[in-house]
Amino acid sequence: MTTRQMIDTSVASQQAPVLLHGVTKRYGRGRSAVTALDDVTLSFADGSFTAVLGVSGSGKSTLLQCAAGLDRPTSGTVRLCGEDLAALRDRRRTLLRREQVGFVFQELNLVPELTVAENIALPLRLGRRRAPADAIEQAAAEVGLRPEQLRRLPSELSGGQQQRVAIARALVIRPSVIFADEPTGALDPYTATGVMRLLRRAAAGTTVVVVTHQPEVTRFCDRAVFLFAGRIEEVMDSPDPARVAACLHALGARADGRLVDRAAA
Amino acid sequence: MKPGWMLAGLRRNPGPVVGTLVAAVLSATLMVAAFGVALAHTPSPLGRLAGADVVVAADPQLHLTIGTGEDAEHESVPLAAYPGVPVRLAGELARVPGVASATGETGFPGGTLRPGLVDLIAVKATPGTSPAALAQRIRADLHGGAGYDLATGSARGALANPGVAIEAANGHALGGAVIPMLITTALFALAATTALSVDLRRRRFALLRAVGATRGQIRRAILAEQALLAVAGGLLGFLPGTLAGAAGVRALAAHGLLPPGSTPSVSPWYAMLAAGIMLPVCLLSALASARRAARTSPAAAVLEAHADRARPNPVRILLGLVAAGGVVVLNVLSLHQHGPGAAIALALPLLMCGMAAVGLLGPVLVAIVAALARPLAVSPSARLALTTIRRMPKRTASAVIPVALAIGLIGAVAFSNTSIAHATTAQAAQQVTADHVLSARGGANGGASGGLLSEAILREARALPGVRAAVGVTPLSIGVADPDLEFLGGEAISAGATGATGAISDVLSLGVAAGQLHDLGPGQIAVSAMEASSGVLGVHLGEHVTVYLPDGTPYHAAISAIYQRSLALGDVLIPASVAAGHTGAPGGYSQILVAGGTQQELASLGRAHPGVMVANRAIYNAEVQQNAQQNDFGDTLILGVISVLAAVAMLNTLVIATLERRRQVRLLSRVGATVRQLAGVFRWQAVFVTVTGITSGAVVCAGTLIGLTRAVTGSPVPYIPAVPAGLIIAAVAGLALTAVMTSVAMMSGRQPFRGASPLR
Repeated sequence: MTTRQMIDTSVASQQAPVLLHGVTKRYGRGRSAVTALDDVTLSFADGSFTAVLGVSGSGKSTLLQCAAGLDRPTSGTVRLCGEDLAALRDRRRTLLRREQVGFVFQELNLVPELTVAENIALPLRLGRRRAPADAIEQAAAEVGLRPEQLRRLPSELSGGQQQRVAIARALVIRPSVIFADEPTGALDPYTATGVMRLLRRAAAGTTVVVVTHQPEVTRFCDRAVFLFAGRIEEVMDSPDPARVAACLHALGARADGRLVDRAAA
Repeated sequence: MKPGWMLAGLRRNPGPVVGTLVAAVLSATLMVAAFGVALAHTPSPLGRLAGADVVVAADPQLHLTIGTGEDAEHESVPLAAYPGVPVRLAGELARVPGVASATGETGFPGGTLRPGLVDLIAVKATPGTSPAALAQRIRADLHGGAGYDLATGSARGALANPGVAIEAANGHALGGAVIPMLITTALFALAATTALSVDLRRRRFALLRAVGATRGQIRRAILAEQALLAVAGGLLGFLPGTLAGAAGVRALAAHGLLPPGSTPSVSPWYAMLAAGIMLPVCLLSALASARRAARTSPAAAVLEAHADRARPNPVRILLGLVAAGGVVVLNVLSLHQHGPGAAIALALPLLMCGMAAVGLLGPVLVAIVAALARPLAVSPSARLALTTIRRMPKRTASAVIPVALAIGLIGAVAFSNTSIAHATTAQAAQQVTADHVLSARGGANGGASGGLLSEAILREARALPGVRAAVGVTPLSIGVADPDLEFLGGEAISAGATGATGAISDVLSLGVAAGQLHDLGPGQIAVSAMEASSGVLGVHLGEHVTVYLPDGTPYHAAISAIYQRSLALGDVLIPASVAAGHTGAPGGYSQILVAGGTQQELASLGRAHPGVMVANRAIYNAEVQQNAQQNDFGDTLILGVISVLAAVAMLNTLVIATLERRRQVRLLSRVGATVRQLAGVFRWQAVFVTVTGITSGAVVCAGTLIGLTRAVTGSPVPYIPAVPAGLIIAAVAGLALTAVMTSVAMMSGRQPFRGASPLR
């Protein structure tokens, strides 16, 4: 464990809604095995808005999947909303996700045959909970959707509007944690800024973990965590896009150097 | 998820389930049609019975108690000929209180021709006596009415057409026999379309799992979807099924398999019944897919690309091997069956096991064939096609399975018929050693539609110079009681002697294994080796048996011969003098086999009796072969129905499997693939699917046929004529390639760049 990882674990980690301790994730076996995460220890404080960045293949999405309980780590411990995920059976993990976790993906977020209102109410319906119309309307209003858009299908919305619907769906259950995997990856910079501003405002008080490769996104974040080759390389408080971009550039150069070294070898 | 949401989703985009719905509607259509035929109404006009208050007829069924003690079983089977009612019964019934008159009536279609018997008794009631009360008194007078049918009101008409009742039973049985085959075909067709439909929505199920749907919720949603499709299929299939049933009844009546004037049975309950049958079929076919979808990892929601898992599912492989083992076991079991009935009963389970093996081992088969095909992939299109196939073995298998199903099912039905017909023809050519064959106009086989040759013609033939033997033969049905009560095909055969040297064996070579067939007289019976063997009748030479003539009259006889060649002539031979009057037809022979004599003498005999045709052995054998190759219309109808269902299921699945790859087509278009190159990729894949499907289907077909042909013909090698086999393969391959390439053409015709579509 690096110094930076040790520093991170000291920040009210045990009470954090999301805590990873010594998490490793390997794909495949033997010589062809790939280590996506390597002994990562990290926590996300209650109410924090954290960006997880890195070059392609650094393990960002894998970290999100393990933290959110979408996938099991090869080793290590993940605690989500106070629960040790390894100790939970699939059904209990599913219920935990449904009741306390919201998700926003890069694309293909919505069920295409369901209207905007039905997509927003999806987690409530799955939990057999009432989905009052006013609650749906309020969730939609929080993300800037108009009432007449509630009856539309996802195919009738723009990319940015679809992401707003996904955010509304994530918020409707009043989650403890929101995981967003490249939520602005497919959007133009202007729309991306609008979505991130919206997410920051609407999710105030909720712990948000955003996986991204875009420095501009960090403008809305309290903290930026940089991954490289499956390990935490740096943790930056109060990030700004310029410093983030420089850090990514340096990581990118290191990644290129590794490639050259491997090729030479 | 609540059904309302699922319904909303299906209503807005039925695309993923269209294939399943089409298969369900078609299956339900064919089932409703089969019900309409199986329960068709046969005409029963009252005619001259309109004046009778009660009609007393003979029971057209043979009832027997087989076995003794606790093993005793009561069995019934329709008679092959109407038994008639004793004429003296009219006098007895006239003395029953309330009877004004009781008259014996004859001359009804299919009625009896025996002296001393009439077709039925028409009873008139005295004034003030109700027909129902009179029928009760008559029944009491007949000691409960055993052996008789009594009818009043509209039911009288049915008794006025005894032969019609027997014809109707045959037609109804045909309709009923199709239903198990339809259910089997529907099961596999739906399993393939459902598996594909679920696989296409994998990403969606991952999203639902990610946002909190449990495995049970996913499973229940898919099964509820299937239940909905089953009900929809049943309801939507009602109208076309009714129309198809009407067409089927008309066609069967035109070919003599149902009485003229028959009408299909129509009832809205058939829609419910079809939906009720489709419900477990749809649910069963979706179980594996539902389970697979429920186990979708929620992490798949964040994955861009999808590839099948690198290693095949061990449980699926194990089950596939068990199914393949089942084929072997059932074949061994079938090879040890001595009666064709038992082997035929095993044919459908054999086919199901074979198809299950192909379905479960599909991805493995695809991987093996892909590895074998690698050296052939020299062009970029071929390499890309093969790479996609290797990376997506399960999805490729979904396209292979309906092709295999089509070949396996159609081949099994078609070539069981050709194998039996071929063996029959071959045996017939060996059987008839007569130099000349006389038959009535209507064909060499005479048959029910032709006239019969009289005893006088037989005597004249025997008297011709140079004739060593002349033997008359007539086909008939004989009832046997072991192991089950059924009517077997056989022949009534005249005594053959012309002087002291003529014999049946002079004109027929039946491969006598025991006893002798020089002659066959009253008190004697000859049985085929297949029927005589253990497990069937289980009789030996000299043993006494009781069989039943077509009208149910028992015939006690000793086994005088056991013979090998029975396909063309039937399994039982009895003397014509014993059968006379008990067949429901006038006395006579369908053919007279003559050994010796000259063509000229026999030709002059033929000229003397209009309607008599004379043929030498070669011409006779050619006509037998021609007739054997003309499939019975019923077999053709069954083959046609099964072919339609299998072909539509195949087209369905291939079109859907191709259209769902439009994303790949767009991507390839964007990176510079020409339409020709795209077509090349899909053409290669279509060829791969077709070849793999046809090969595996042929293996399944062969596996089904081996035991069946062995039991029926004595040889485990089925007869598969090249031209029909080639036509079937060409038709299936043509349909498969057309389905794929037409779909590709539709996709290629659109603009290459479209906006990213939402989750499918």
